[in-house]
Amino acid sequence: MGVEGIGASVARKEDKRFLTGKGRYTDDMSVPGMKYAFFVRSPYAHARIKSIDMSAAKDMPGVIGILEGKQLQADAIGNIICGWMIHSKDGSPMKMGAWRPLAHETVRYVGDAVAIVVADSMGEARDAAEAVVVEYDVLPAVTEAVKALEAGQPQLHPEAPNNLIFDWQLGDGAAADKAIAEAAHVTEITLRNNRLAPNPMEPRATLGIYDSAEDHYTCYTTSQNPHVARLVMSAFYNVAPENKLRVIAPDVGGGFGSKIYIYPEEIVCLWASKKTGVPVKWTCDRTEAFLTDAHGRDHVSTVKMAFDKDNRITGLKVDTIANLGAYMSLFSSAVPTYLYATLLSGQYAIPAIHANVRTVYTNTVPVDAYRGRAAGGDLSSRADYGDRGAGTRRFAGGTPPQELRADFPLSDPGDHELRRR
Amino acid sequence: MAKVKMTVNGRQVGSDCEDRTLLVHFLRENLALTGTHVGCDTTQCGACVVHMDGRSVKSCTILAAQAAGSTIVTIEGLAGSGELHPVQAAFKANHGLQCGFCTPGMVMTAVDMIRRHGANLDEATVRSELDGNICRCTGYHNIVKSILAAAAEMAGAQQAAE
Repeated sequence: MGVEGIGASVARKEDKRFLTGKGRYTDDMSVPGMKYAFFVRSPYAHARIKSIDMSAAKDMPGVIGILEGKQLQADAIGNIICGWMIHSKDGSPMKMGAWRPLAHETVRYVGDAVAIVVADSMGEARDAAEAVVVEYDVLPAVTEAVKALEAGQPQLHPEAPNNLIFDWQLGDGAAADKAIAEAAHVTEITLRNNRLAPNPMEPRATLGIYDSAEDHYTCYTTSQNPHVARLVMSAFYNVAPENKLRVIAPDVGGGFGSKIYIYPEEIVCLWASKKTGVPVKWTCDRTEAFLTDAHGRDHVSTVKMAFDKDNRITGLKVDTIANLGAYMSLFSSAVPTYLYATLLSGQYAIPAIHANVRTVYTNTVPVDAYRGRAAGGDLSSRADYGDRGAGTRRFAGGTPPQELRADFPLSDPGDHELRRR
Repeated sequence: MAKVKMTVNGRQVGSDCEDRTLLVHFLRENLALTGTHVGCDTTQCGACVVHMDGRSVKSCTILAAQAAGSTIVTIEGLAGSGELHPVQAAFKANHGLQCGFCTPGMVMTAVDMIRRHGANLDEATVRSELDGNICRCTGYHNIVKSILAAAAEMAGAQQAAE
């Protein structure tokens, strides 16, 4: 007989249903009278919507309804918010532009949703969506954050001149500057932490059900946090008061952060269910996932690391430009600030650190936390420039990387404890 | 619209569907067999793998009409009710799954490769055979471990039977 109690292997409860095809993922859900939704999305990175012509589409077989941003606006459905206030160095609040769940006058990234088609079957919804004619006035677009800050670039939101959302800092700038000025050696490098697409195996899906008899909404959705979804959808997006909204996350096939946020699709499917009088299910396909699931990272950082003559790191100064995409996602402001700069020391005791972070709008998919938030950026950056710092020292007749590391004994927990302030 | 008939998990079934209906949607929507999953739109991910006339196929890239008259086995049909196929049991014992979404496809692919390679399966072959199945949670190590364990178990059981 095996071990019991502490040390025993505890088998997972969910494996049996996952292994036998009895998992209940959102797209597996079905309710009587359920219909299917497909979103019409912008093929342009930046454009004004001139007109939306549904005349051909709405008469196509199986179509129940086609809804657009103007109607969403008229029904007072709220804009998507970023829930974490960050102030710039000058004390001003972050410049949050409006993110309408269905674009109203302007589309700001390829994939920005413009209309929702509800039909009897997936195929019919897709066919009708292709027959919706949207006339766009195409505008110049900018996709690189560094470029978007320059003068003369396309401006995404009137609230954010030069596309700057906020200019934030953390740490002791004077001490870091002093360490650099007095250093025996300074290594400076530019690091690019490229954009990532989370791509959990299960694409996002939502089943929005409005029950007119009870005046009550139910939302099955691929969410990592259904309670947050309910709170945000009732308090900010005005979908329904909290006591009239039930959010259920059944089995979820991976998220890694990308299923934390409340996306346009959940809000619109619930609203569409009320408008059309039928339960509305939307399932993302993989191409759509690349276009609409929150992306990760997309930082460019200039890093300066100061060393004394014994190869100890005496100071670190980081200047990061972080691309947040076309709109501010739910936690996007917290990611390159408190979930990043606070971690720059890593496992080393660096006495003087300063970080400056500027966040920028560009005509790209919104960026938010993705598995380890931006930590991947800081730790690999640091290890990287730690190595490069040592490498440069070696080329200049300095110490090889192994000796640099030896100054920071990681294997001795006592010493590690001492160094953690 | 046409009525498409086939044998699925030992039962003869028939259902109306559009000509363009993919086998995976026929299984999920028409037959309510939602264990087979859709994970991509490029035939790359393998979440849709089923067995058709004894071979593993990607059901997202076969029309239901193409499968007319064939014998299909899905994840739901791998073992009798309440039991686990040795491959399913091995995944359970070796923590070969996390979110479970890629799992039906992994299991069906595993059963097929064990059928073809038997006890000769080694790690390199398993990894090569899994080229058409993507997992975003596990990093594959425990999936490979599960499959090798299952192959050994099934070879042992076969030897005992002989």
